[in-house]
Amino acid sequence: MAKTKDISRRIKSINNTKKITKAMEMVAAVKMRKAVEAVLATRTYSNLSWELILNLAKMSQLNGSATHPLLVKRTKAKKVAIILITSNRGLCGSLNASVIMKAKESLEKHHIIDNQEVENSFILIGKKGEIFYNYKGAKVIAEFPKADIITSTEEIIPVAKLVIEDYLASKYDKVFLAYTDFINPAKQVPRVKQLLPVDIESEDKYLGVVGKSAQVGVTKEFIEYKEEKHLHSGKYVHEYTFEPNPQEVLDMIIPRLIEIQLYQALLESTASEHSARMTAMHQATESANDMVNELTLFYNKARQAGITAEIAEISAGANALAEV
Amino acid sequence: MANEKKTIKFEIVTPERLVLREEILQITVPTQEGEITVLPEHIPLVSILKPGVIEVKREGKPNEIMFVSGGFIEVQKDKIVILADSAERGHELDEKQIEEAKAKAEDLKNKSKHLDNVEFTKIASLLERELARSQAFKRWKKISNIN
Repeated sequence: MAKTKDISRRIKSINNTKKITKAMEMVAAVKMRKAVEAVLATRTYSNLSWELILNLAKMSQLNGSATHPLLVKRTKAKKVAIILITSNRGLCGSLNASVIMKAKESLEKHHIIDNQEVENSFILIGKKGEIFYNYKGAKVIAEFPKADIITSTEEIIPVAKLVIEDYLASKYDKVFLAYTDFINPAKQVPRVKQLLPVDIESEDKYLGVVGKSAQVGVTKEFIEYKEEKHLHSGKYVHEYTFEPNPQEVLDMIIPRLIEIQLYQALLESTASEHSARMTAMHQATESANDMVNELTLFYNKARQAGITAEIAEISAGANALAEV
Repeated sequence: MANEKKTIKFEIVTPERLVLREEILQITVPTQEGEITVLPEHIPLVSILKPGVIEVKREGKPNEIMFVSGGFIEVQKDKIVILADSAERGHELDEKQIEEAKAKAEDLKNKSKHLDNVEFTKIASLLERELARSQAFKRWKKISNIN
């Protein structure tokens, strides 16, 4: 009987775990939905601001005036900073491991320039990344806490400020951003993109765009199309008037773009985290179910074996009595 | 003038959400250079906004009042886009909250006589924002009382 007791105890404990994972799955699902909504809400702003920047940059190039320092490419990038967004908590599958790997890979790609090793520094958002890089002894410039549910851009302003100031002070020549892109609840992809300098010639169509929906993609073709539509009327070509002047508008909007990019990445990462956790917890619940089924089978077998043995014992005893 | 378009598409967005998207007759916005009113068929324009009140005139509906804390306005041939840092529509404004925030900002400013420049500008801009917000609310109340 001892065996059946052991098994039933294990079944109970697995059932308890199952309840927990199930609850976590539900919580993650709710958080994910909120995070996804936030991502979608930011998309319009992000696309429109990117559009505006492309227009502005073109204008200031045409006028021959100096472009913004954050737009100027530096010839040799010897010092690279990477902003890494990870989750605060585990139990979300391979989410953090894969974004850390991806960041490492892309840093190794540009490892050596002119026989000199590139200096890497890290700006970390989220506890998991902090634990990893502190353990590795990497050069960590700053660690920012990450809220579970992101509600406003204020969370990202300190990060944006630090990065812009340090970049302008030439503490680094290039800034990358590593985060997890939310594609759908079942798929998250770690991504690394260049944040600074803002590369307006870049092939990266997604720089100012979030999500891979084709309808919202702001590509160069789209800008040209838009220009055609909005600025040409018949033979006349309109030009934007800038108040007070293009330079000042550019000065104002580029830091905003950096902020919005960071904000977006943070939202994407949060959405990814919650959906990864949801999937992981769903799988945990399912495997708990499998285990319970298997153990129930064992339990029944053991119980039956016990009963058979008992009956055999009793009938053996009765037989022995009858013989006497 | 006969075939001139009377309304223009208008969109105001913040990083957090789309605040309003509508066909409008005219709009008044607080830019850095002063308040401007944009009508349909305006020339393309990009300008910086400062904290203040946006007033939108619509066809067949009462005027809409909005508070904006700063941002940009982009006027295109047939569309006006405002990228705001944050914005609230009139009916979303809450009097008590506004007064509290305003009092707090004023209090901070009074206390901050000995602070350095950076801190002081921060507080001054906070106060400017809160004042603009309360102004927006007053305007909104006035308009909704008329109707």
